[in-house]
Amino acid sequence: MRKTDDIIESLVGDLKPVARHALSRRFLVAILSSLAVSLVLMLTLAGLRVDMAVALTLPVFWIKAAYNFLIAAIALFALYRIARPDGDTGPVFREIAVVVALMGVAAVFQLALSPEAVYRRLILGHSALHCPFLIFAFALPVLVAAFLWMRAAAPADLRQAGFMAGLAAGAAGAFVYSWFCTENGMPFVLIWYSLGILATGLLGLLLGPRLLRW
Amino acid sequence: MTAARTEDDLKTLMLLSLDGDEGAYRRLLHAARPLLVAYYGRRMSGAAQADVEDLVQDTLLSLHARRHTYDRTRPFTAWFFSIARYKLIDHHRGRGGRKAAETQLHDKIEDDFSAESLTARLDLDRLLDALPPAQREMIRQVRLEGRSVAETASSRGQSESAVKVSIHRGLKALAARIRGEA
Repeated sequence: MRKTDDIIESLVGDLKPVARHALSRRFLVAILSSLAVSLVLMLTLAGLRVDMAVALTLPVFWIKAAYNFLIAAIALFALYRIARPDGDTGPVFREIAVVVALMGVAAVFQLALSPEAVYRRLILGHSALHCPFLIFAFALPVLVAAFLWMRAAAPADLRQAGFMAGLAAGAAGAFVYSWFCTENGMPFVLIWYSLGILATGLLGLLLGPRLLRW
Repeated sequence: MTAARTEDDLKTLMLLSLDGDEGAYRRLLHAARPLLVAYYGRRMSGAAQADVEDLVQDTLLSLHARRHTYDRTRPFTAWFFSIARYKLIDHHRGRGGRKAAETQLHDKIEDDFSAESLTARLDLDRLLDALPPAQREMIRQVRLEGRSVAETASSRGQSESAVKVSIHRGLKALAARIRGEA
C-alpha cells in the first residue's frame, strides 16, 4: 500500500504540462516526414514516370492518384482515432469499401469502352508482378513512422491498430508509387495496387500485437 | 477536502493536471486509485486478488506516461477505464495465452463497459457511501451482485429477516437522498 503512495508522489513530481495538441502534432510530423522520405526514395530510385507531361492530362492518372490518396486519408484518420485508448475506428471499413467499389465501377467502364485486345494490358499491364512489391517498399517508411508514433500513444486493440497503420502506410506508399508507375489500366490499379496496400496492412496486423504493447 | 468521485470532478482535475497543476494531479491519482482497486477487484478471481495492487500501480504509471492521449473534449472516465480495461486484458494475455484474453475481451469485460454505465456506477458508489458500512455491503451483495438473502445472511451471521429489514431501510434512505439531491 505504502508503495502505491510513493508511486503517486513520484508521478506528481514528474508532472510536466502537456501541450493541447501534443498527440496530433506528433502524428502530423511522423506522417509528413515519412511521406517525404518515401517521395525522395521514389524520385531517386525510380524517378517520375517517363511520360509525365502526357500523364498529367490523363484522367486515369488522377483517378489512380485519388484512389490511393482517399484510402490513405481514410485510414490515417481512423489510425489517429484508435491511438487513444477510448477511440474507435468509426465506419472506416465501409468508407474504404465505397472507394474500392467506385474504383471497381471505373474499371468496368474502362473495360466496357475498350476493345478486347487491350484487356490484357489493362489488367496485367507490364508490371503486375513487381507493382505490389514496390508499393510495399515505398510504404515501409510510413509504416515505421506510424508504428513509432503509435508506440508513444495508447491503442487498446493492438491488431486493429497494426492493421490500420499498415493500410494507411500501404495506401500512402501506393500514392507515392503512382507518380512513377506508367500503367493506365483501372483494373490494374484495382487489383495490384489494392494487393500491395492489403499486404502492408497484413504485415501491420502481424506486427501490431508484438510491437505496440504498452 | 472530499474525494473527487464524479465525472465532472475527475475531468476538472485531469484538465488542471494536463496544464501542470501538481495539487490537482495528486488529488486525481488518489481518487483514481480506489476506482481501480474496485474495478480490478470485481474482475479478478480470489486467487488473483494479490495482483490487484500490481495492476493498480501499473495503470497509474500508464495513465501518467500516456496522458497526452487524453482528448480534452471527451469524458475522462471513458478514457481512464479504457486504460484499466486494456491493462486487465494485457494482464490475462500475459498468463492465460491469447485465447483467454480474446474471450475476456469480448464477453466478460465488455458487459458493463460504457461511459454511461461507468458514470452511473460512480454515482451509485457515491450514494452508497452515505450509508452505514454494514447496510451498504448488504445492498451491494443482494441488489447489485445478485446474491441471495440467505447467502448474505449466513455470511454475516445474521438472520434473513434482519438483512431484509436493513436493505429495505437502506434503500429508503437512498431514495430520500436522491429526492433531496434532485
